[in-house]
Amino acid sequence: MQVGTEGSAPDIRGSSSPFAKTVFAAGAAALALVLAGTVAIQVFYALAHDPDPQVCLANGIIPYQPGPPSTGAEGWQGVCNIVLGLTSTAEEIVLIGGIAVGAVIGIVGLRTYRRMDTRRKRDHVITGAIFGGQAVTFGIVLWFFVQSPQKFVSQFMNFYQLRGHDGWALVNGIKFTLLLAFGGEIGGIVIGLLLALLEISGRRSVRAPATVYINIFRGTPLLVQLSIGYFGVNLGLGLHLSSFTVAIAIFALNMGAYSAEVFRAGIQSIDRGQIEAARSVGMSYLQAMRYAIVPQAVRRVIPPLLNEFVILIKDTSLVAILGLSLTQLDLFSAGQQGYSDTYSATFFLAASIGYLIVTLPMIAIVNAVERRLRSGLVSVAGGAA
Amino acid sequence: MPNPDGSIVHLDGIHKWFGDNHVLRGIDLALQEGDVQVVVGPSGGGKSTLLRCVNLLELPSSGHVWFDGRDITDIRTDLNRVRTHIGMVFQSFNLFPHMRALRNITLPLEKVLGLSSAEAEERARDQLARVKLSEKADAYPGSLSGGQQQRVAIARALAMRPRLMLFDEVTSALDPELVGEVLQVMKDLAAEGMTMVVVTHEMGFAREVGTRLVFMDQGVIVEEGEPRQVFANPRTERLQEFFGEIL
Repeated sequence: MQVGTEGSAPDIRGSSSPFAKTVFAAGAAALALVLAGTVAIQVFYALAHDPDPQVCLANGIIPYQPGPPSTGAEGWQGVCNIVLGLTSTAEEIVLIGGIAVGAVIGIVGLRTYRRMDTRRKRDHVITGAIFGGQAVTFGIVLWFFVQSPQKFVSQFMNFYQLRGHDGWALVNGIKFTLLLAFGGEIGGIVIGLLLALLEISGRRSVRAPATVYINIFRGTPLLVQLSIGYFGVNLGLGLHLSSFTVAIAIFALNMGAYSAEVFRAGIQSIDRGQIEAARSVGMSYLQAMRYAIVPQAVRRVIPPLLNEFVILIKDTSLVAILGLSLTQLDLFSAGQQGYSDTYSATFFLAASIGYLIVTLPMIAIVNAVERRLRSGLVSVAGGAA
Repeated sequence: MPNPDGSIVHLDGIHKWFGDNHVLRGIDLALQEGDVQVVVGPSGGGKSTLLRCVNLLELPSSGHVWFDGRDITDIRTDLNRVRTHIGMVFQSFNLFPHMRALRNITLPLEKVLGLSSAEAEERARDQLARVKLSEKADAYPGSLSGGQQQRVAIARALAMRPRLMLFDEVTSALDPELVGEVLQVMKDLAAEGMTMVVVTHEMGFAREVGTRLVFMDQGVIVEEGEPRQVFANPRTERLQEFFGEIL
């Protein structure tokens, strides 16, 4: 292999071969057959005309008849199409084909990858074998599912019901979920920072109350805290606060305990020399904290704090125990409301997607910030970027 | 105002324990205005602890520190105020990494001395010019070399207009080619008559610039005197060994 003398680094991965490329392509094709094939069949059935009621009935889907008494459920056409697609011969062929090709490629790949004489050939063969194995796995799972999908699809995949109820309920749910989470997070950061400053005190008399607070809130379930806050404190003391307000307060108190630990760790991770330098020019302890230590600590705790925030977004669903007013339903409560109105569990699927819409970007941000912190400590610590 | 004995700093019978570790075992030391007190000795001998006892970053376990006519180990002393008169420079620079060089200097001027931001900036720029880093005013510490960072740290301490400067092995963390620029700043400062306590391993600097030298080992002052004489005629065996090891 020729070693580059100047310019870009030499390519040490070498070239591929028709065999390796074939294994790679066949593995990818098997996986695509199982996944994309199933999706394509679903799209085909969804675009087809309304299904034949008799055929649907034969598949255990009862067409809707307005009552009284009504039979079946609205949205049956969609449910029927999904079932017909899953139980079709085409789906059977797709799955069997995908499993068969995937299995062959998996075995061929595992048997031959050691003999490949360049890195690139070996990578192609191994990746092809992995795709083949994935095709087999997904294929078998789907195979069992399509044997009798009627009940599951009727329960969880009647998307018409989402539209039939109140199309904006779930969108509003996202809004109130975010309000609860942001309220809790902002309050939690303030409480957490104060508690952290108490926690690092040299005096036990200052540390003790903070420690007790943190241990209590970290040691009891959030669900119990919400219940005590609303049914106990709020109703017991006659405060007449809305369940929404109480929930934000409890989330803030709870987050405060967790972020306190995050802040404490962040502050203690700052080099001792920083506070010594600040004290040596005559700053008081509090001035040193405020100008030298805390600003540096805050930068370091951004990723763990965002992680806590993602957890809080999901935990806001516990507010359902308090029963929110119908105009302020969070995402899960809205889904639950939809379920009790229609008896269609599709709402829970929709609520899950709603949570993902919020949390996936947050997770991406956490990862990006962590990468930046790791790659350029100087630029982040110095804020130079 | 000098201390009752005419000195500006007087350490009187200082002991320091860290747990069971007896680090300082009765140190007596007095500095006159304008003295450049060099402290040398093997590591672990208590040099840095001694220095940190002068501005009470470490509290002595027993003994008294007199500064500027007062016993500052008296619990009623406002240490924040005392420390504005005692500048300190650290081995690891300890600049605030989230602030530009200029802000590192102006921050204590504004927050501690209460100067206006215009006055603080003027003073800070003067000090940056003194350490020949005017063009680095807007740089973050992370983008400066070790020698430049240390000079900014010196400027930060000097901008407070201290009566006494403490240097804690300020060149030990520097690459050899950067040591000179920091030592030069310290030489200039000594020439201007600043009272300094310098813990160092730079024997050339100790001999050339120091007006007084103490050799510390195992928590006690083993030998002291005028640097050139001490270097020429070390009286104790321990100091002869030490010079033998490092020279």
